[in-house]
Amino acid sequence: MNEKPEKLIDKKGIRLDGRKADELRPLKLQVGVLSNADGSAYIEHGKNKILAAAFGPREMHPKHLAQPDRMVLRCRYHMAPFSVQERKSPAPSRREVELSKVIKESLEPALFLELYPRTGVDVFVEVLQADGGTRCAAITAAALAIADSGVPMKDLVVACAAGKVDDTVVVDLFDAEDKLGAADVPVACMPNLNAVTLLQMDGILSPDEFEKAVNMAMEGCKKIYAMQKEALKTKYMVVKEVEE
Amino acid sequence: MTLKPSEQRNGNLVLPGERLGVIEEFIPDSGTYVKDGVIYSKIIGRALMDMLNRRVSVYPLNEGAVVPKVGVTVIGQIGNAQSDNVLVRIMGVGTKKNLSGIFSGILHISDVSDRYIDSMNDVCKPGDIIRAKVISGKNQIYHLTTSDKNLGVIYGFCSLCSTLLEQRQYEMHCPKCGNVERRKTAFDYGKEEI
Repeated sequence: MNEKPEKLIDKKGIRLDGRKADELRPLKLQVGVLSNADGSAYIEHGKNKILAAAFGPREMHPKHLAQPDRMVLRCRYHMAPFSVQERKSPAPSRREVELSKVIKESLEPALFLELYPRTGVDVFVEVLQADGGTRCAAITAAALAIADSGVPMKDLVVACAAGKVDDTVVVDLFDAEDKLGAADVPVACMPNLNAVTLLQMDGILSPDEFEKAVNMAMEGCKKIYAMQKEALKTKYMVVKEVEE
Repeated sequence: MTLKPSEQRNGNLVLPGERLGVIEEFIPDSGTYVKDGVIYSKIIGRALMDMLNRRVSVYPLNEGAVVPKVGVTVIGQIGNAQSDNVLVRIMGVGTKKNLSGIFSGILHISDVSDRYIDSMNDVCKPGDIIRAKVISGKNQIYHLTTSDKNLGVIYGFCSLCSTLLEQRQYEMHCPKCGNVERRKTAFDYGKEEI
């Protein structure tokens, strides 16, 4: 998709990839895909393919980063060189460093940091293929990986984006809509506690549009949360049967 | 808002953040936490609702987050050794044999045994696998003790040729080079599977 299409949404309200305004991309979630990690998850969100691995709690290295009263959560968001059309340098870019911080801060409220002082939990997010909305998919997968590792959590964290494309507020933007659209609002929340842990906005929205976008993203989060639960149950139901 | 018996979710798979009840109906036990009077699960597990004692707990389905705690038995490898203390790389805590990382512990000569010990060279050597108990988590390092008959070296290696040593009464013999060494062994030396 090199040229800008005239319209991102046709007269019937159908988007470039054939979705309606309030429709999510097809989603596939899998838990426990890596054997060397304490917890892991894999997400396919439309064309996004993301792996997440969680380790810990373990001793912090370097040791001076350890906090005497709480656990430290470290996140690394990284895009594989082959994840986008033009080769991406494997060195962490400014954007990746920022996303690592954003993901860390959106997951932190879900953890009991004071439970394991002087230790660290490491979360590694590897984007294998990117097609817009990777930060949301990354948060969804990272939360599953942490839950799978057995670190106590207040709630799962689930993220979904909404935005404005051709004067219409739509949910779950993909790459072309993200780049050519007017605005992007990623939202991460803890669905059971009804708490928002991440809220960003890139672009310009009127207050009404913003509210609509946040509500649509929250609706999307609820749908993804159901699938998140399903993914965890699929793994742990099987474990139970083996034990018996 | 009490759950009717038919709504009891005993043994059900629960996920972090799943609502289990309110503090008026249950006493929250392990695997749960309370926020604003509501009891939630904090791990993946099976919800156990003890209707007699009115307790709710979650039985974990994975090994979960394990860190050394005071009183817990750990398994570790000897790192740097000095004449009065050794560094221990803690690799297993309690029943979890393989941590994803290591925790650092220290075993001081005064915590090795009830008896008088001249030097740490008679207790363990670098590379040995020991079983020890955590006595303190302060000073940013775990202090260990082997002062019990089930604690001490469980696998010792010859300091000359690194062969697994055999225990003969009070001494350790190397089957390959015939070297004789001393160790503070656990009663089940060489038997535990790691």
